[in-house]
Amino acid sequence: MARIMEETRKAFITGNEAVTWGALAAGAEIMFGYPITPQNEVMHYWTRLAPQYGKGFLQTEDELSAGFTVCGSVQSGKKAFTATAGPGNVLMQEPFGMAEAMRLPLFAVIQQRGGPSSGTVVYSQQEVTLTTFGGNGEGHRIVYSTASHQEIYDYTIKGFNTAWKYRFPTFLLGDGYQAKMREPLEMYNPEDRGIEMIDTYPLIGLPGHIGENREPQHLCNIYSLEEELYEVVMRVSAEYEAISPELVEYEEKECEDADIIVLSHGVVSRAADDAVKELRAQGIKAGYFRPITLRPYPQKQLREAIAKSGAKKLLIAESAYGQLDRLTKQEIYGETIKIENLFMPGVGIIDYDIISKVKSSL
Amino acid sequence: MVVFLNNEPDRIVEAFVGEYASGKSEIAINRALELKDQGRKVTLVDLDTVEPFYTLRPIKKALEEEGLNIIAFSRSDSFGLGETGAMLNPRARWALLNEGDIILDIGYGVFGAQMLNLVEGANESTDLQIIAVVNYSRPMTGTRQRIKEYVEKLGRVDAIVANTHLGNETTWSVIKEGNDEICRVAREMKIPVAYMTVDEQFRDREEMDLDMPIKYLKRYMPSAIW
Repeated sequence: MARIMEETRKAFITGNEAVTWGALAAGAEIMFGYPITPQNEVMHYWTRLAPQYGKGFLQTEDELSAGFTVCGSVQSGKKAFTATAGPGNVLMQEPFGMAEAMRLPLFAVIQQRGGPSSGTVVYSQQEVTLTTFGGNGEGHRIVYSTASHQEIYDYTIKGFNTAWKYRFPTFLLGDGYQAKMREPLEMYNPEDRGIEMIDTYPLIGLPGHIGENREPQHLCNIYSLEEELYEVVMRVSAEYEAISPELVEYEEKECEDADIIVLSHGVVSRAADDAVKELRAQGIKAGYFRPITLRPYPQKQLREAIAKSGAKKLLIAESAYGQLDRLTKQEIYGETIKIENLFMPGVGIIDYDIISKVKSSL
Repeated sequence: MVVFLNNEPDRIVEAFVGEYASGKSEIAINRALELKDQGRKVTLVDLDTVEPFYTLRPIKKALEEEGLNIIAFSRSDSFGLGETGAMLNPRARWALLNEGDIILDIGYGVFGAQMLNLVEGANESTDLQIIAVVNYSRPMTGTRQRIKEYVEKLGRVDAIVANTHLGNETTWSVIKEGNDEICRVAREMKIPVAYMTVDEQFRDREEMDLDMPIKYLKRYMPSAIW
């Protein structure tokens, strides 16, 4: 694979550009997409860079097609991806479900915008439920929620590997603020960091003859019999649960003696981090917990943080009306810690909002 | 045809163009305020037709309170419009008819630069200076070759402003290395470098041995959405 970065260098870029450069560095071969704010610059930059690096791009007629063309492309062994947001994410749930059913290594970037429907073109964290459990299935997917441009770059590279290693559709969940804001990050070639990119492989058109010298692939998204489907879903569920412990990622700070743990994800966790530092400086024992993977959820680690701290309260802060809250509650069912909320759907949350809420909760 | 050229003596008309996120808005705001502080009448125009509601909107009122005439959509103009796509503010189209100095902030890269054609009288104006903003830390203008290719795509460019920085991680060596490279390309292309822009936190901290005037920037854009 050709080296994308001549040298590891700091750059000043937007989050959408970080996706594009990360995908290039990861060896992505083709992007399929349909324009929607706030992910447009992923496509814009990919189309500017693709000809320089011999990569492909197809603008499909809508998001359904963009999702399905990724499903097709990865079956031929191409490292393919897409990016979308809001209503586009809704439309792509059908192809994402196909990727779950057929165990396709699909990688998609979601830059959340406000909802419901077309909502706003700007920002929110209202696509948590959709991205983790959208579609008519069981949520057999892997979702990374990033909080900085460095993470967008890092997890784009990682996302391709996760998809091809585990064969579950994999998502990078960003948002309009992360997509558009600018900050420095370090761009590198994966091999310079000792990251081995998994070689892609075709899933169809394999050599040999079925029944003679190889088994069929069984890439199947429809079953005639209920019992057949039952067996498949039970088997895939067991596989997903078995790999979950090695997939979960989280960040935890100051939870050892915390009276209250602030739980947030994505860009809001930056405000939570600042808030916890400020609260500690004021002598208030606040802790910080952030799931990086929303699917699978680091529920064991969160339960442990609650147990060891003896915290009396968990404050869940999100730019949505309870999507992270619901996800967290179902994951830590049985915990008796009191849960407080800071729900600000569609608007940003700053450290001041969290500090005020913590102070009024204690 | 109506001829409406407004050729006042000593009038300053500058259009800032360049790569997406190169610093055009920040530099345009600072330039407008610099002229205003000299006692001049200044109009600052947001000519981003791709994302017309975001660039200056959140800080419009604050800038008006500083004494600038701002042509940009306000919150009340944009409320209820939704995702309308490319949209040209009529006041921006006729911006050159305003009295005094005009600073145009032309958003969205190469395609943005073409929007200057939509401003009535821009092509006929004898005052207009088209200034390309270049940040060497932006990957698409991160080598000499890329800068050259990019500036060529912009079409007419009368001067370059060297604006190399890494946001909060900017150092003198980042500035110097990047701006040196920009100067070299500018010389090859025979385009003058008007000045370099540096965050005001670097003021008086160290001597720069670049043969180039420096303008210090107060950062307004962190208060905007993007």
